[in-house]
Amino acid sequence: MFVIVVGGGKVGYFLARELIAAGHEVALMERDRARAVQITEEIGSIVISHDGCEGKYLGQAGANRADIVAAVTGDDEDNLVICQMAKHHFDVPRTIARVNNPKNESLFKHLGVDEIVSPTRMILGSIEADIPVHELLHLAVLGGGELELVEAQLRIGSPVIGATAGSLDLPDGCSIFAIIRDERAMSVRSETELREGDKVIGIGRIECEGELHRILLGETDSEK
Amino acid sequence: MPEAYPPVFRRAVIALNGGPFDNTIVRLAIDFSRQSHAELVAVHVVELNWTQPLDSEVAERSEEAQRVLDAAEGIAETMHCKLESVLVQARDVGAAIVDEACARDADLLVLGLPYRTRFGGDFAIGRAVPYALKNAPCAVWVVREPMGEESQ
Repeated sequence: MFVIVVGGGKVGYFLARELIAAGHEVALMERDRARAVQITEEIGSIVISHDGCEGKYLGQAGANRADIVAAVTGDDEDNLVICQMAKHHFDVPRTIARVNNPKNESLFKHLGVDEIVSPTRMILGSIEADIPVHELLHLAVLGGGELELVEAQLRIGSPVIGATAGSLDLPDGCSIFAIIRDERAMSVRSETELREGDKVIGIGRIECEGELHRILLGETDSEK
Repeated sequence: MPEAYPPVFRRAVIALNGGPFDNTIVRLAIDFSRQSHAELVAVHVVELNWTQPLDSEVAERSEEAQRVLDAAEGIAETMHCKLESVLVQARDVGAAIVDEACARDADLLVLGLPYRTRFGGDFAIGRAVPYALKNAPCAVWVVREPMGEESQ
């Protein structure tokens, strides 16, 4: 597989190295000349010392035959431009973008980036998993970023305590399918009664997160 | 005093760039190889840009590349010396030459260096020679062509 990695920071550098080790053909674009020289010395002559945001240089890097373009610079705007150009000018089958600001995720999806990776959201998810708060915990992003797997811990005041799973009026495209109760996982049936302390695992479209929160945990802090 | 002249080597890779100086370095390498009956491998690298896959058949179809190797073989034949010729496709000439020298366990790498100047008059050494000097594990000979009259 031929992969163009744009951005020679830590992420791009290690990504390129891992891909090469796995036997893929890799071209890495890094606009900073000194950094490009440094990477060339460490990995080999795979570096194109030009700005991947410019179509001319993306073309020189072989975007016309790339299987994947991964834009992993530290700049969301650049990553978006790179992916859009790869997709629309060079018909690259798969584009992957690093999104630093989680607020930009939906924009990236809307503008046709195939896959988004948000380190911020991943770290946030890890922190939330360790520190229980009255929020939905983000466990994973699925379906190329359209769906997310969430966990809600039911506490005193949760509106669904005592209700059965089948009675919940969940938004379209959302469902709950598992409960962790007393450290044991169990599947959810329509007659399953929800109890205080349950960790309810659900899946749904990202835009339904607020509604899911309201149903399972009550109003969000910002709504109060 | 070490008796290192002419140096003894068992296998030398000669990098050919297709320029007029190729003939000179092939002759030099052959002359120096006689004492130790060293093997000689002439390598010509066709640099591919990233728009083409490395396994595309560019070098094999290139008449120019074939001419470079044929010329080297012709010189070896007239000097009654055996010389293997190799055509390589790569993204970077310097790295490909060094890789070839390593793969063949060569103890000598011979490169020709054309005398070129940049705009402004500075000597231009190019990328392949510095790369080889820095990275080749074996001995490296760089044979610079004489200055042209206009450069003197």
